[in-house]
Amino acid sequence: MSESLDKLRNRILSDARLKADETIREANEKAEQSRKDAREKAEREASEILARAEAEAEAARRSIISSRIRANRLRLLEERNKIVQSVLGDVEQRLSTIATTGNFQDIVKRLATEAIDAIGSDHPTVRIGFPKASGDKFNLPAGALPRGATIVYDDKLAEELGGVVASDPEGKIAYRNTFRARLDRLDRELLTLISSTIFGDQQPDQTQKVVATAA
Amino acid sequence: MSGIDAVKKIVETEAEARRIVEEARQRAQQIIAEASKEAERVREEVLADARRRREEMLTRAREEAEKEAMESEKETEKLIQDYRRAFEERKNDAVRKAVELVLQE
Repeated sequence: MSESLDKLRNRILSDARLKADETIREANEKAEQSRKDAREKAEREASEILARAEAEAEAARRSIISSRIRANRLRLLEERNKIVQSVLGDVEQRLSTIATTGNFQDIVKRLATEAIDAIGSDHPTVRIGFPKASGDKFNLPAGALPRGATIVYDDKLAEELGGVVASDPEGKIAYRNTFRARLDRLDRELLTLISSTIFGDQQPDQTQKVVATAA
Repeated sequence: MSGIDAVKKIVETEAEARRIVEEARQRAQQIIAEASKEAERVREEVLADARRRREEMLTRAREEAEKEAMESEKETEKLIQDYRRAFEERKNDAVRKAVELVLQE
């Protein structure tokens, strides 16, 4: 009886140990799976973070480069504009002293003829005025202007760098042929001419290379 | 051995068996709890590493962009000098041509 009792006890303990081992084994499996799942999930999240970071880095790079390129381009345009304005200033200065040049009478005649042609009147009133000039300087040659034209010297036109304004007798139609008006009419052409003369092929596009790499 | 002693022994043995199973259950809980903590630690480490690499990427991108921008600035500075030189050399020519254009419109 004692022997069979021992066997029974051993079996009870053996079953318990088996069950305990199984419990531990299952726990270890669960633990391993839990670690694996956590690592995989974390790696997926990390990949997403890095993918977003790549896009953010590229956006940051582009933003920095493009803002600096814009600033540089602006600097170049400002410099070119300053230079062109300086030339225009000299042009105005030169035009304002046209009365002191040798071909002044020819210039006045041309300006007056153009203005009279523009209004198409046989009896135009032609107002003339230039800086550094007085009325007695306008001894236009005979036949320079239509016979019916009335010439009036107008000091105020000197404020427009000088020139001629022709109007019909009723004063309804007038054509301003002052240097200021001509500068305004020629605005774009002048800017192109001055720019191409000074800068030639130097275009403010040096940053294109960088833009291309940023794009 | 009497019958009572035998029953007593079996009762003791079953108690020990229950203790063995209970200890295993507690140990299993501990293993799972530790694994959970470790999983969280691993997750934090992986994410921290990703965040660190993200910062590095952003810093490197900014530095590279700054370098490229500096190149662009150098070129701009050179072009400005070229403009100024061209202005000094061709200013009179430009004024002459512009005056001629205005006079001959």
